[in-house]
Amino acid sequence: MTTPFLHINGLRKVYGNVVATDHVELAISKGEFMTFLGPSGSGKSTTLYILAGFQDPTAGDILLQGRSLLSTPSHKRNIGMVFQRYTLFPHLSVGENVAFPLRVRRAGKDEIDRKVKKALKLVRLDGFEDRMPANMSGGQQQRVALARALVYDPPVLLMDEPLSALDKKLREEIQFEIRRIHQETGVTILYVTHDQEEALRLSDRIAIFNKGKIEQVGTGPELYANPATHFVADFIGDSAFLGGELAAIADDRATLRFADGEVLAGVPLHGTGTAGDKAELMLRPERIELAAGPGREGATLPVVVEDVTFLGNNSTVTARTGWGDALTVRLNFGHPMIGSVARGDRLHVQWQPKDAHVFVKP
Amino acid sequence: MLLDFRKLGAWKWALSAICGLMTLFLLLPILFIVALSFGSSRWLIFPPPGWTLRWYEELFADPRWIDAALTSAKIAVIVMVLSVVLGLLVSLALVRGRFRGRAVLRAFFLTPMVLPVIIVAVALYAAFLRLGLSGTLVGFVIAHLVVALPFSIITISGALETFDPAIEDAAILCGASPWEARLRVTMPCISHGLFSAAIFSFLISWDEVVLAIFMASPSLQTLPVKVWTTLRQDLTPVIAAASTLLIALTVLLMVIAALIRKGKAR
Ligand SMILES: Nc1ncnc2c1ncn2[C@@H]1O[C@H](COP(=O)(O)OP(=O)(O)O)[C@@H](O)[C@H]1O
Ligand SMILES: [Mg+2]
Repeated sequence: MTTPFLHINGLRKVYGNVVATDHVELAISKGEFMTFLGPSGSGKSTTLYILAGFQDPTAGDILLQGRSLLSTPSHKRNIGMVFQRYTLFPHLSVGENVAFPLRVRRAGKDEIDRKVKKALKLVRLDGFEDRMPANMSGGQQQRVALARALVYDPPVLLMDEPLSALDKKLREEIQFEIRRIHQETGVTILYVTHDQEEALRLSDRIAIFNKGKIEQVGTGPELYANPATHFVADFIGDSAFLGGELAAIADDRATLRFADGEVLAGVPLHGTGTAGDKAELMLRPERIELAAGPGREGATLPVVVEDVTFLGNNSTVTARTGWGDALTVRLNFGHPMIGSVARGDRLHVQWQPKDAHVFVKP
Repeated sequence: MLLDFRKLGAWKWALSAICGLMTLFLLLPILFIVALSFGSSRWLIFPPPGWTLRWYEELFADPRWIDAALTSAKIAVIVMVLSVVLGLLVSLALVRGRFRGRAVLRAFFLTPMVLPVIIVAVALYAAFLRLGLSGTLVGFVIAHLVVALPFSIITISGALETFDPAIEDAAILCGASPWEARLRVTMPCISHGLFSAAIFSFLISWDEVVLAIFMASPSLQTLPVKVWTTLRQDLTPVIAAASTLLIALTVLLMVIAALIRKGKAR
């Protein structure tokens, strides 16, 4: 077995009686862009801070190329970090900010000049050396922070929601820059966000955090197509959940009975359960078809339309099942039903059983 | 705004007048003293019958006044340095520390501000007599430090509270040791607080008279004490000259402190 480049090994951190992270286990390869995605308070920052050395774990270890980092103080770990808040040194110019890590390493003047120039060029801020941080926009400040974190070629770069204070358009612009910088430098990045779009756009792999634990690790498409838990299914993509009861199980396929007696067979099952357990059926909006009457193949359910929203390239139809669960259907621009669907219509939804997922309720 | 000055009508004039009178009330004694120090009358007649620099010449010719001024300056400078250094350390603990009883400790550090000075003076006098510190430079410094430190702690804590510790964390991850980060990043960022603390500590010691009277000995006294003792023996315009110099330095430092605050607000 080869040792992973960066190994987060059974990390656990307890504050008083709050368990911030528990059994966090992750192997990251060199050059990988790994994102921690999860709601606020799920332990993403705590994991990052332990890596940075600002917190000591209650249990577990961090291994970089097989060697534990825990006994090394923060300032000797040689790790780069960009923070959520703006952390440029306000009394130093942009050039001096980027030079700071090199100055504390007692680098020579020529080396400092050359590397500062290169780092600012990397974040497309060449020529801003003499600017003071107070005279820059938030996006520019975070790019300088990125240059400062990369100027000493750290093996690992940590980023804790660095774009959360910026507006949407700027955020997307800088996400693009971050991707380019990752490709150009090949640095290993651990990125924290609570924004699924950002995670999907940037990452090689995503670790989904929930209540201090990692629920699932995988590429974006893997997580979307094959969510391991109800939480992951809910967090990635907009999904509908229809409540029901397990009727039978065979070969990882479930038969589900809905509240109105409707029965659906052959749905992929996640988790273990027995007949009679409460379960939920997950449907992706783009996998659902809307039709006037019941279809001949696949699964079908009668619904009542509650709302129709036009969103430019698609329209979203919100509907409710006979027993009251809501689901949304996406109609792409040009779909024949756009324009004719209205609130209160009685229609049918249909889908292929293999495109749905059943999660047993704990 | 609830009370817009421009919309007050006739009240506007009344308010302006009250403001003017208050300013005069506060400034008059100072103007009076300054005028007397340049007045030619030995009997402190006001308005002065003529103008002279004679009292300043007498002041600078008398080694006892010079001694007192030098003592005052020496004590004030030592108090200033110690007050800023200790104030910084205490503030770091109070603002950054996460220990129990922090609020109590903070209140405790600020008590000398609300305690009547005379009580502090009597208590210190009694203690210093036993310790053999009364009439010594060390005694003076400790006494003035007791009243200056709370001001230092308030201003430096205030500056430290508005400084985001994540900036210091960033410096540490950049490779600076914790103390290097504090020295190269935190200190420059809170320098306005440090300067204010320095100026106020200096002034508190420079102007202080109650504690100084208790601490003074015939061979060691500060300028305010010298003014006070001279006043009791003999009413001479030299006192006005000495007072004017005291005030001049105070005003100068206050102006510098105000400029620092304004520079920070910009
Ligand atoms: N210094 C701390 N003291 C006490 N509790 C903390 C501290 N830092 C984080 N926590 C708690 O740990 C949990 C995880 O926090 P955090 O790692 O910041 O989550 P995230 O970054 O995913 O939003 C939260 O419940 C939070 O309240
Ligand atoms: Mg966080």
